[in-house]
Amino acid sequence: MIELQGLTKIYGDKTVVDDVSLRVDSGEFGVLIGPSGCGKSTTLRMINRLIPASRGRILLGEDDITRLPVEQLRRRIGYAIQSIGLFPHWSVAKNIAVVPGLLKWPKSRIDERVDELMGLFHLDAGELRDKYPHQLSGGQAQRVGVARALAADPEVLLMDEPFGAVDPLTREVLQDELLRVHRHTRKTIIFVTHDMDEALKLASRIALLNAGRLVQYDRPIELLTRPANDFVRSFIGKADLGLKLLSRRWVHQYQQPATLRGASDESVRISGYAWEVDKEGRPVCLHGGRLHAEDTQERTGVTPEWSATPDMTMKEALSRMVWFRVMVLPVLDSEGRLVGEVTMHGVMGQQPCA
Amino acid sequence: MAHDRVPGDEERHTGSLVTNRVLLTLLVAALLGVVLLPFASMAPNRLMSGQAVGVTAAMLSWQWLALAGLAGILTACALSRPFPARLARWLTLTAAPLWLLLALYGLGDYASRALQDASPAARVSQGAAFWILVFCPILMIIDAFQRLGSSLAVRGLYSVVLVVLVGAMFAGDTFDALSIMREYANNKGTFTAEFLAHLRLVGLALGPALLMGLPLGLLARRHPTARGPLFGALNFFQTIPSIALFALLVAPLSALGEALPWLKAIGVGGIGAAPAVIALIMYSLLPVVRNTYAGFAGVPATTIEAARGMGMTSRQILWKIEVPLALPVILSGLRIVTVQAIGLTVVAALIGAGGLGAFIFQGLGQYAIDLVLLGAVPTIALAVVADFLLQILVALSKPAGMR
Ligand SMILES: Nc1ncnc2c1ncn2[C@@H]1O[C@H](COP(=O)(O)OP(=O)(O)OP(=O)(O)O)[C@@H](O)[C@H]1O
Ligand SMILES: [Mg+2]
Repeated sequence: MIELQGLTKIYGDKTVVDDVSLRVDSGEFGVLIGPSGCGKSTTLRMINRLIPASRGRILLGEDDITRLPVEQLRRRIGYAIQSIGLFPHWSVAKNIAVVPGLLKWPKSRIDERVDELMGLFHLDAGELRDKYPHQLSGGQAQRVGVARALAADPEVLLMDEPFGAVDPLTREVLQDELLRVHRHTRKTIIFVTHDMDEALKLASRIALLNAGRLVQYDRPIELLTRPANDFVRSFIGKADLGLKLLSRRWVHQYQQPATLRGASDESVRISGYAWEVDKEGRPVCLHGGRLHAEDTQERTGVTPEWSATPDMTMKEALSRMVWFRVMVLPVLDSEGRLVGEVTMHGVMGQQPCA
Repeated sequence: MAHDRVPGDEERHTGSLVTNRVLLTLLVAALLGVVLLPFASMAPNRLMSGQAVGVTAAMLSWQWLALAGLAGILTACALSRPFPARLARWLTLTAAPLWLLLALYGLGDYASRALQDASPAARVSQGAAFWILVFCPILMIIDAFQRLGSSLAVRGLYSVVLVVLVGAMFAGDTFDALSIMREYANNKGTFTAEFLAHLRLVGLALGPALLMGLPLGLLARRHPTARGPLFGALNFFQTIPSIALFALLVAPLSALGEALPWLKAIGVGGIGAAPAVIALIMYSLLPVVRNTYAGFAGVPATTIEAARGMGMTSRQILWKIEVPLALPVILSGLRIVTVQAIGLTVVAALIGAGGLGAFIFQGLGQYAIDLVLLGAVPTIALAVVADFLLQILVALSKPAGMR
């Protein structure tokens, strides 16, 4: 758990961080977001005492961070910076092993840990272990930077725009990996970004800063549906508010469940759409449901592209319906069995529980 | 073979006949030198100026014909036909040293033949064409290695072999008849002493220069306010001409020596090593401080922030991060300073510090040009060797990740 209490930073006569109080509970994914120069990095650097706070305090668990010896504190907090800052004269393995080395772990344990982390971030240990930073691609370097921050199993992970320097595709992959690692390790994370979509995708809580002040600290859905003021509204942006909202909603919140009566069922009807199902309960195709009425008898074969899973975002489900020009999408479980459907009407009409 | 191309290397697909202009230029220079300038000179005694002797007159016919043959091969190497580029370079690396050795041998051989039935006082010296015939192949070798992009190990091994071969000629009696070697024979005892004195002066200057310069460079990096005055002062020293600085130090140091007898006892006085060493330290300080500062300043701020964020102590950051990353730049500063100090130490002989400069000033005083060369040639050799060794050290100090 990390708690900021009245945190303030003053440079000269300029208040860069102004009386910020917030709490990130254990296992939460907190995101600091705001326009450039609003004090996000400064806040982060005060947490691991790279710079001293002018006023206020920071609690790490029960401890006031100023009470802990500074190097010890930093070894308990993983830190990944935007520019990555890998040590250019050390191999990938040695870079990842920095903090365990400082903590004097035995060599065998360090080696194991390096392999484990490289596996976790899909870095091919056989190929990359002994490579040097300048031989890595941008995406690989970012992964190594995050792996390094996690190496000594810190209680808290601070990340300052760690995916700033990669293309959108790699960025998405890295975000997915980070989410997976977060689910897996339940670390407390404070993540800085200025990209709202990234924040909505990753955060369990978002702190929106402006000119050093905390404007709103809430769960993503609250931020979207109950913005505190016009600044929040304008920062989120009006253009694709609906889609942003759907990006924080999941298929299982919208789906109409299917009830399969028995293994012999060949046709299932949920809300007016007829699904053809095989013996194992896997949907084969849909009759009708196309955008234009004259296509009512048209069959649409179920494919991995044209189907949804319960933990998919509604934004993605909507996108698939639009792309295939069908009014409905089958929801499959991990075995590929039909568990329900989401419909165009459902997206529009239903207000699911948040 | 992309690495094969270096600037100035016009490959065959440009369609031009000449593929290596550097080599061709050197060959033309050598040819002009040989035609226009004397290869050696013969004088009745060491103080009188000699009579010029051309290459064909000095060398036996097989010698200059072989020289001409090698020049022919090298010319072919500079052209796009008949040899492919890589072969041409290795051929250059074979023919050029043969040429060098032949020029050396030819001169020594001429001297011993010419002096056989001359008076004992007669002297044979090397002429301008001889130097051209020595330096052109060396430049050809350097150029060929540059174009091949060879590793330091290959270059080092090649140089060692070449140095051993030339050294063997000196150790044998090839050059014994030459004037400069007669000067050496006359000064055998003092030569070794002055050579060692030269090395000692350089060492005495570099040690303290490093001991002071490295911390000062770090200080300049850590405290921006100290930077201006520090570099101002060091730049000021650098602008004082060396002879003036030596002279300026004579008076205060002799006064100091008179005032404090124990200082005089350990050799501090107006004349001798003390002012020379002090002046050399002052000259060496700026490059050491500047490169140390630049080396540390070149360590990316983000790397240091990451190190701090990981929980490294300042001492760990200094030794594990900053020093390894700054070392190549610091060592190139040492390289500059060493070569500079070897050269400046020559001037120190003027105020009685000794060293190879002693022969140079003696020779200038006596109009004995070969005595001057006895001081100058080893100084140049020393500088070249030191430069080469430190260059290797710089390359080795580059972290594996950045080589
Ligand atoms: N050492 C310093 N001295 C004076 N002002 C500073 C210093 N460091 C940061 N600032 C100022 O503090 C403000 C906040 O900086 P900070 O780096 O926290 O911004 P940020 O929110 O991380 O912005 P970005 O998204 O661009 O990274 C900026 O206006 C910056 O100019
Ligand atoms: Mg920032």
